Amino acid sequence: MNRLNIALVIGLVAVGIYLSTLSSETLVGIKATFMGVLAPFLNTGSAVQQNIGSFGQRLKTLDELEVENTQLRTENQALRAENSLMRETLSENQRLRLALDFRARSPHRLVAARVISRDSSTWWNTIRINRGFEDGVEADQPVLTDIGLVGKTTTVSKNEAIVVLVTDESCRIGARIEGTREQGIVSGVRVQENALEGILRMNFLSKNAEISPGMEVLTAGVAHGSFPQGIVIGKVRDFSRRALDGQATIEPAVDLSAIEDVFVLVGKK
Amino acid sequence: MKALIDLIALFAGVFIAFVVQHALPPMADLHGAQVLLVPMVFCYAAVVLPFPAMLAAAFYTGLFSDLFYLHIAGGRVEIPPGVSIIYFVILGCISNGFRSVPEAKRVWIFALLSGVGTSAFLLLQFLMITWHRGGWEWASAAAWRILAPGLMAFLIAPLFHLITSHIDNLVPDFSRKGRAPRR
Repeated sequence: MNRLNIALVIGLVAVGIYLSTLSSETLVGIKATFMGVLAPFLNTGSAVQQNIGSFGQRLKTLDELEVENTQLRTENQALRAENSLMRETLSENQRLRLALDFRARSPHRLVAARVISRDSSTWWNTIRINRGFEDGVEADQPVLTDIGLVGKTTTVSKNEAIVVLVTDESCRIGARIEGTREQGIVSGVRVQENALEGILRMNFLSKNAEISPGMEVLTAGVAHGSFPQGIVIGKVRDFSRRALDGQATIEPAVDLSAIEDVFVLVGKK
Repeated sequence: MKALIDLIALFAGVFIAFVVQHALPPMADLHGAQVLLVPMVFCYAAVVLPFPAMLAAAFYTGLFSDLFYLHIAGGRVEIPPGVSIIYFVILGCISNGFRSVPEAKRVWIFALLSGVGTSAFLLLQFLMITWHRGGWEWASAAAWRILAPGLMAFLIAPLFHLITSHIDNLVPDFSRKGRAPRR
């Protein structure tokens, strides 16, 4: 290796070290710009991903379809299609009505958003939504549905935001268990078998707490925290006592693999 | 001139690889492991390009990776940018050492480098996250998510090499003309 090459390598390593010293505020700005530039391409990719996913689902249910097909022969095809269409419209209508009711009932200002994509990342559980700072969304704002908590915003660009899901270990939430005085910290598991349907852990509970499966877990609303109190996180699946504290396993209230519409809590009414 | 065309092709290739790997869903049967194409594309460039061009490729790929995987939660950065640049510089230096190897052997070296490079990149990310979050948590899913993408890259690499070599042969090598002995 000649001197010029060695100098180039050292120069690049120096640039790498310099970049690693940048403040998180600067990096948020850089990432937001990067997201904005990349968004059209990633959205195209996400549309392809959805098509691949639905194709896979169709393949999986081929056997079931065969059985179902035998049963369906007796039914009138045209009526079935029409019924199915009407049912779909009805369920969408109900879903949107519930969402609207939820927004009207909520004491907070909510911005409705649609999930653009579920980001395929090995170590982080995130989704992207179609609302950004132009819509009043900022970083570290809670994202929820009428059923419960989904996560919180991290990087916000002009028209999009990344939401870190509750199943991610880096999303930590001060929580309490309803019907008890128990409070703890809820977070995801570092490596989830299935991140979107994953489980949560609630740590720092009292060792002698009387916690039973099925109890509801809500946000505690700690001072200067991102989450206001009373948002449903999930239900206790089991509780174990450790040497110094207790740990509960929580099932998220929201089916994170199926969410399409969410709300970003942007402030109080 | 040829190196410049190759470098531009690499820039486009890395970009496309990012979009494609983002679009590919995780492999449910392999514990949610992802298919990663970017380290493989970079390894190909590193065994083909001259050293300074390889460094430019390492910088571009590293910066892109850093920004793509930048995860900021609660105002804290999990993997600081710059880490990927340094990683790709190291991987590139190793890969570039095999540049003079004959093409028939180079395919397997490239495949091996792609596999190891992909898994090592994921292992580095996992270690950085572990160091940042504290506490050692190991699960079989983590091993799958580190090793399976490497294996996938190893399997895809020969096909990728075959296709890109054919495309590469279509690009005129201006430097070859200059090097031809004058009579």
